[in-house]
Amino acid sequence: MGVDKKIKKFLRDAIRVAPKISNKGELFELRNGLVSQYPQTRKDAIRKIIQQMTSGKDVSSLFPDVLKNIATQDIEQKKLVYLYVANYAETHPELCILVVNTFVSDAADPNPLIRSMAIRTMSMIRVDKILEYIEIPLRKTLVDDNPYVRRTAVLCVAKLFQLNPDLCRELGVLNDLQDALSDDNPMVVANALAALHEINELDPGSIDIKKLVSQNVKRFLNVLNECTEWARITILESLSEHKPIDPMESQEIIDRVVPHLQHVNPSVVLISVKCILIHLPNLNTVHDSIYNKLSTALVSLMSTPVEIQYVALRNIRIILDAFPNLLRKELRIFYVKFNDPLYVKIEKLDILLRLVPVDNLKHCQMLFNELKEYAKDFDHEFVTKAIQSISQLAIKVSNGGEDTNNKFLNMVMEEFVSIVQEREEFRDILMRCVCDMLRYDSDNNLIKETSKNELGAIISSWQDIDTIFTSDLGSCNYIWFITNYTNENLETKLEPLVEVFDELGSLTQMSLLMGVVKCHNAVSSAFLQKILELCTTDVHDLDVRDMAMMYWRCLSIDNGDQIINQLFDKHEIPKLHSTLDHFSKETLQSLLQELSTLSSVYFKPISQMQRRPNEVHIIKDKDIDELKGMATNEILKNMNDDVLLDMGDSSATRSTGVLDELNDLFDITGDMGKVNISQKTNNNNNNTSNSHATDLLDLM
Amino acid sequence: MASYVAFCDSKGKPLLSRRYQDDVSQSAVESFQHLLLEREQESSVMPPCFHHNGIHYMYVQYNDVYVLALTRSVSVNATTMFAFMYKLINVVEEYVKRVEEESIRDNYIIIYELLDEMMDKGVPQVTETKMLKQYITQKSFKLTRSAKKQKNVARPPTELTNSVSWRPEGIKYKKNEAFLDVIESINMLMTQQGQVLRSEILGTVKVRSRLSGMPDLKLGLNDKGIFTTNDQEDSPEPVVSSKKKNSNIELEDLKFHQCVRLSKFENEKIITFIPPDGEFDLMTYRLSTPIKPLIWCDVKVQVHSGSRIEIHCRAKAQIKKKSVANNVEILIPIPEDADSPTFKYSRGNIKWVPEKNAILWKFSSFQGGKEYSMAAQLGLPSVSDAEPPKLKRPVQIKFQIPYFTTSGIQVRYLKIEEPKLQYNSYPWVRYITQSGDDYTIRL
Repeated sequence: MGVDKKIKKFLRDAIRVAPKISNKGELFELRNGLVSQYPQTRKDAIRKIIQQMTSGKDVSSLFPDVLKNIATQDIEQKKLVYLYVANYAETHPELCILVVNTFVSDAADPNPLIRSMAIRTMSMIRVDKILEYIEIPLRKTLVDDNPYVRRTAVLCVAKLFQLNPDLCRELGVLNDLQDALSDDNPMVVANALAALHEINELDPGSIDIKKLVSQNVKRFLNVLNECTEWARITILESLSEHKPIDPMESQEIIDRVVPHLQHVNPSVVLISVKCILIHLPNLNTVHDSIYNKLSTALVSLMSTPVEIQYVALRNIRIILDAFPNLLRKELRIFYVKFNDPLYVKIEKLDILLRLVPVDNLKHCQMLFNELKEYAKDFDHEFVTKAIQSISQLAIKVSNGGEDTNNKFLNMVMEEFVSIVQEREEFRDILMRCVCDMLRYDSDNNLIKETSKNELGAIISSWQDIDTIFTSDLGSCNYIWFITNYTNENLETKLEPLVEVFDELGSLTQMSLLMGVVKCHNAVSSAFLQKILELCTTDVHDLDVRDMAMMYWRCLSIDNGDQIINQLFDKHEIPKLHSTLDHFSKETLQSLLQELSTLSSVYFKPISQMQRRPNEVHIIKDKDIDELKGMATNEILKNMNDDVLLDMGDSSATRSTGVLDELNDLFDITGDMGKVNISQKTNNNNNNTSNSHATDLLDLM
Repeated sequence: MASYVAFCDSKGKPLLSRRYQDDVSQSAVESFQHLLLEREQESSVMPPCFHHNGIHYMYVQYNDVYVLALTRSVSVNATTMFAFMYKLINVVEEYVKRVEEESIRDNYIIIYELLDEMMDKGVPQVTETKMLKQYITQKSFKLTRSAKKQKNVARPPTELTNSVSWRPEGIKYKKNEAFLDVIESINMLMTQQGQVLRSEILGTVKVRSRLSGMPDLKLGLNDKGIFTTNDQEDSPEPVVSSKKKNSNIELEDLKFHQCVRLSKFENEKIITFIPPDGEFDLMTYRLSTPIKPLIWCDVKVQVHSGSRIEIHCRAKAQIKKKSVANNVEILIPIPEDADSPTFKYSRGNIKWVPEKNAILWKFSSFQGGKEYSMAAQLGLPSVSDAEPPKLKRPVQIKFQIPYFTTSGIQVRYLKIEEPKLQYNSYPWVRYITQSGDDYTIRL
């Protein structure tokens, strides 16, 4: 090239045509820019388009013109075009076919960056026709010389599997993926492992992941120290799922994983904790030092960003259920900081209460003082939690610790007497806590009569009881209290609640029924009759109705009085030992296995949550309306089968939203179960949730 | 594995998003803002993850933006996602200085590129800025760059997938130096009477390395667990309330940068590493040894309801006479409806900060052992419509004390060896103690 030519080329390359403002609209201008003879102008136009795309404007009509710019040597421009293609491929599948050639040739580009970008984008596009062409580039890149490309390619196998599992099996790339586990490069190994896990989750039958992991344990342990932090997480995760053949192997895994407790990445730390905890029970002898190391590792997670602290706290809650001796000396770290976000504060309270050693009264006293401080806060939910914690602490200390002369229990009770007076806006939780403590004390009379009488006086002086409680739990405990600890004017006190009977929650209804039946001698028979009638006719909750019928029958037989008294005999009712809840054994086991995952944060094992929808729909440019029509039809068709579909979702994928809400309802009923009014309120979960389900159906 | 990672503005409206898997639609990202609002109205407890319609949202709030990750699977590792989001914020910050709405809008292309490289199919990949800068070389804001120049440059460096993935080869400096900063942040909660309810020291050793080649570094500290020497060198006596003569202290809860050979440390208690180029946090530690307040304030508040509030405060630097605390700030909360302040004080500078409902007493320097006092009076409205909310905010104190570590930790040596180049190198060490984010006195 002569100098002259060079200069000309330089000038042409550098020229940028200023965008014109015309009345033909922006799209027109952009299109003009895309076909400009000057490369810089074209590039500027693409940037502009990406910007529009980012801000949510639809620039898909420029698809063909943008595509013309994909064959370029300029990497930046290529990246932009790829970004655009990946974004709009779904809506323009027929146009994508134009890019296939470029994809295929780019996947063989000398630059590894381009090779991996091509294969990455290609496997993202849900278009059958593109997938037909993927075989050769995918195979090539899976055995590429450059590990950067290989690590992209192994993930592409999982993407392909998600889009079209049959094609994936047909191509036999799953085998290549398994081979990649013995790749020289640790990052390729880790990504292959991640891909295999993903495939296993989508279709548990397609590969034997357990076998693959157990064949490679040694290898994983060896590459562990050479990986990036993220790759370590993947490998540690697999190691924690591995069932060891003998204690020796577990020991080896633990030895190799322990140093990772000091990694700077909190996720590496937590996953290492999980890995060690899961392998610990296999060991013959466990050294104490390992528990110390685990404790400090968990404590270190308390100096990470709050979101991670939150995950860690939820996980610690699970871990403590299984390993109650961990973290025993670390009480202080969980004290609430004033600038902690609320969700962290509340989790911390939960942990504090579980950790506090009941045999050390000094610590308990300290915690009590802290909790009193927290109860003076102004945020409603935090104060509620703090008040609840105080009663939980009292019961924990009295039940398990050395509470000489019940000093601690009574001190807390006195505190409650004063809180009840000072903080009226917290009546709901106060009622619940006071009643919990009284129920704990039901037959031993540890709590001084004076406190009980004082409380009785304060609580019976409350007015407008139909409005002062905001929750079902609050009012149901109120009824329990006044029917058990006061005797005068029951009818006048309960009357306001009876008037709004059908608006009451089912717990309050139940409590009202039981309270009145229990005190049937203290109320007029007309009042009793009214309650029984209301409970048998006006209720939605089947349990309340059944219970009312049973009582009614008891009362109408000869020795009914006796039976009723027997039913409500203090000594017959199981004692409340602790108000701290624990996971069931099975749940705990699954949650431990799932530490650090979202399911562990929700406290719901994966098996209890619904599975991800496996079905894959390759969407072509179907009319949205058509899809909507299909969806509605399907809903109508399935209505009878009780299959709930979300009508709001316009895509064809089966939505699980309503099922989620149902799950939530299950949770609520689960919480109700904990109330423990007496053994009889054990709600039949199925019944209640069924009725909620019918409500939901009605709504639809 | 995340299906989407998005940046949203302060209301939760998406600014920019990148899809990694096909199972979540764009509309889910858009509904984040509504969900956020809904949840805000529902309860003041808002955990950073929630689910709606089978889609799980995890988010981090940073400056005026939200970073958001979406997924359909509950088996996603939540810690990894949050850690990744923070890493992403870090990296973007190093590219565009500040992560905020405007800078994200201005630098969308570079952020797309970063998202592309840092995550694939929802699995975090390369997150080391030093390495990313090798092949994502766009200048922020700057739009021109000749195509020709880039053609051969932008390739993934070979070290990217090596075991030393944080340092490229061929780094050269004229003068080889390594700077070590030992920074200790003190968190402390005290009662008004001066009783320390809890305290902790959070330490960080920061390194700025300007070293050529592939140097191997070895760090010696006076930590019992790390390195025991018999040397009798007299270290300045730490303020730690310990009587022990041994200057070796025990650090708890050590955390190392990924360049430190963890197994070597586990087995031989030696800190060895090949540092990344430039600045990074080599290690962090925590100490829960009880310490006494370094800066102590005796605050007395008298509220004359309906007329005025009086505040008396005595501040004292309980550090050695030759030490100086810099940038001392004492933030004392006052009721929201207080006004017309008058101050009397012996030193420093006092301001009323109505937006924080507090008064701020500032010193540029505060000599050890000295004590200063102030008195403030503010008017209160004679009638207030509601009963005054309880004053639950604590007094917050900030300070920095150079040339001093509270724990008494000291760097014994930093050995630098580069097997091929064999150059002379200069390690520098600085110490500083400062207030952590929770150095407070409960009122």
